[in-house]
Amino acid sequence: MAFKLSMGEYWPGQSFLHRMDPRAKVACMLALMVSVFFVHTLPQLVLSWAVALALITLSRVPVAKVLQSVRPVVAMLTILGVCNLLLVRAGQTLVSLGPLTITTGGAWAAVLYSLRLVAAVIAAALLLLTTTPTQLTDAFDAALAPLSRIGLPGHELAMVFSLMLRFIPTLADEASAILDAQTARGGALAEGSPVQRVKAVVPVIVALLASSLRHANGLSRALDARCYEGGAARGHWHPLRMATSDWLALVATAAYVALLIALA
Amino acid sequence: MAVPANKDQVIRDATQPVVSLSHVTLRYGDGPSVITALDDVTLEVAAGERVCVLGANGSGKSTLASVICGLLAPDEGTVSLAGENVLGPSGVDFEAYRRARRQLGLVFQNPDDQIVTSIVEEDVAFGPENLCLEPDEIGRRVARELARVAMTDHARSNPSNLSGGQKQRVAIAGALAMEPRVLVLDEPGALLDVRGRRGIMRVMAELRGLGTTIVHITHFMDEALAADRVVVMDHGRVALDGTPQEVFAHGEKLAGLGLEVPFTAQLAGALRERGLDVPWTCDEAVLRDALVSDSPLGPVPHGEPSLETGPNGEAAAVQVERVSYSYRDADSHKALDDVSFAVAGGSSVAIVGQTGSGKSTLVRMLCALEVPDQGRIVVKGIDTASRKDRRKLHGNVGYVMQHPERQLFAETVLEDVAYGPRNLKLPPDEVQKRCAHALALVGLTGKEEASPFQLSGGQQRLCAIAGVLAMEPDVLVLDEPTAGLDPRGRSQLEHILEDIHAHGVTTIRVTHSMDDAAKAQQVVVLSRSKLLMLGSPQEVFCAAHDKTLHDAGLGLPEPLRWAISLGLDTAPLTIEQLVDDLVATRDASRNEEVG
Repeated sequence: MAFKLSMGEYWPGQSFLHRMDPRAKVACMLALMVSVFFVHTLPQLVLSWAVALALITLSRVPVAKVLQSVRPVVAMLTILGVCNLLLVRAGQTLVSLGPLTITTGGAWAAVLYSLRLVAAVIAAALLLLTTTPTQLTDAFDAALAPLSRIGLPGHELAMVFSLMLRFIPTLADEASAILDAQTARGGALAEGSPVQRVKAVVPVIVALLASSLRHANGLSRALDARCYEGGAARGHWHPLRMATSDWLALVATAAYVALLIALA
Repeated sequence: MAVPANKDQVIRDATQPVVSLSHVTLRYGDGPSVITALDDVTLEVAAGERVCVLGANGSGKSTLASVICGLLAPDEGTVSLAGENVLGPSGVDFEAYRRARRQLGLVFQNPDDQIVTSIVEEDVAFGPENLCLEPDEIGRRVARELARVAMTDHARSNPSNLSGGQKQRVAIAGALAMEPRVLVLDEPGALLDVRGRRGIMRVMAELRGLGTTIVHITHFMDEALAADRVVVMDHGRVALDGTPQEVFAHGEKLAGLGLEVPFTAQLAGALRERGLDVPWTCDEAVLRDALVSDSPLGPVPHGEPSLETGPNGEAAAVQVERVSYSYRDADSHKALDDVSFAVAGGSSVAIVGQTGSGKSTLVRMLCALEVPDQGRIVVKGIDTASRKDRRKLHGNVGYVMQHPERQLFAETVLEDVAYGPRNLKLPPDEVQKRCAHALALVGLTGKEEASPFQLSGGQQRLCAIAGVLAMEPDVLVLDEPTAGLDPRGRSQLEHILEDIHAHGVTTIRVTHSMDDAAKAQQVVVLSRSKLLMLGSPQEVFCAAHDKTLHDAGLGLPEPLRWAISLGLDTAPLTIEQLVDDLVATRDASRNEEVG
């Protein structure tokens, strides 16, 4: 399989994070992700990382699995780190090699910006690892409820989001099968000028579109057969209910954000 | 399950058909291009009945399925579903349709399209949630249905990581969790391997025990034997309707409709033609008893077995030498482990093995789409590891992927078929010539200007194969080319492939059917990423290997299975050989009596 997406695949479990109300969880994790951008000092960084590591422990998801989700952004972080290292000029000069100057300020920026971003990615990964797509959909459904009230398709948007998560791996498999077939028919997909490449990709894209339409047809038949009626009231197997622990988690998150800002 | 709430309902169910169509006609499109999918169909299905619907592609089977499960309203006639009069003289009653649909379940071909969430148990809960059931009730039904289809262990799995057969069982559980009074299965096994299909048949057998009404649409004649009643469709009309025994007695008529009769019936018919005193039947046990009691089966007087092997003089077209491969992100085991074999030029090879045995990986390597981690593959003298030479190989090795119609993309059939030859940088007149030849080979001459997306399913398959043949490959690699085709489509494609092989093309074919594998010159058996067996069909398929093959999720060809259970000491691989052997034993025992 040419494209495997490990990020966001649910990791079954029974931990506190798994059992949290998805609405509370999404709110907490979003707060954690946004809060890292306030991190500028060492104590703040230590605090945000302490929380990130505590959450990994709390989720009981294997550390390797969480790190796997961080892997796709490592390249980006490396580039970011190198740029900071070379471009930020502040504090004392550590190394000076011709046009390259590394300062203490640059080194600090490289470490700080990379590490705080990793903390944010860990929070995002934990959200996806401990929340089923159905729960995520329910959470978004709840968040989009105001839209439904003013006549916009809030519930449908949430459903589309859920179907998207479900069909990404299917279409990725399909894409790699079609890519194989056209390559075997002599299609040169990674050669020649940009114009040639764009042309060469058409037989893959059109075939993939046709495949997607076939899936869409099948899916609509399945949704009808299973009595899905759009925005009409649906029952829930696991109705969302905010427990005391969920409120406590929200309070703890708020306290953490306050502390983080106080440490600045 | 239509578990009736009380006794009154039982009585009502017993007296009233759950599905009743009367003089139903349904047309697609309008004006000159109108297609009559159902033409004056009258059909009743009684509660608890198991009905099997057969028919060639385009006979109206799938439309009938959609009408029975309330997804399509016919243009004319009256329809009553699950006690609701949904269509009458006064027109369509949409509210009645909504009520009826809640009591009708549907499972169709592609399991991927029927699973709507990324967790198995939540998918099963999707239908009951739409019915607004109480959470406790949903939980109860989800657990019960997952247990019924033997998927309890996968309740929290992601469907993307399951096999096709497992996904289809999840889809069935999802339909059953809504407790439908009628379950419609529209070719549920069309995209599955033998083991997956068997799993579905087991679930169906269990449902029959519980009294669920089942309407099963299929291309596999043997599956129809388990039904109470068989309905044969042809051009939107009901052509035959009766018990399996009654319907399959019309062998010639069925052949005319593009269908066939089950193996047992074929065998019984062939034996009677040769003068054996056996009853005509499609019941395996009846025929077997008749054969055993007719005359004690003695040893078959046979000459030297004529072992057919591939042409020996020719140089190997494909050499696989100690090949191993693992996917980068796979957790642990290898996809292929130390596999070696050689394929003689111009021979035919069958690769068999259950899902996950490494077949697909091997095929991708033979086509130079993937390079081994260890070992090497040499095709026509070219090592696939060399990036530069690999492009040359793409002209020499043709690759027909699973469901090759997915590769179609162009506006016309001709443009699509020409894609390969043009990539080979051939002069325009040569491209033209090859396309015409390839289209003639698959019988699509005259369709050049049609859109490939407007062809029928079977024709799309042929068009895609023509696109590969137009490159005039020396080696043709096919991954289950007949999967999902109806009997007519299967035999048509078989003839085309025989024809191509007769022209000296080396064919390597992945197949799920042991009977197909027995027709090749060499059989490669893969199991758990390793080469399990290698040899001629006579060497691989023999009584001694029965258990080994069974453990690998495979089996023996049907004729051989019969011979073993009848105690014959020959190893017939085709129905003709089996008939010859049975006739020979009869003659031998007669001679004994005379002498």
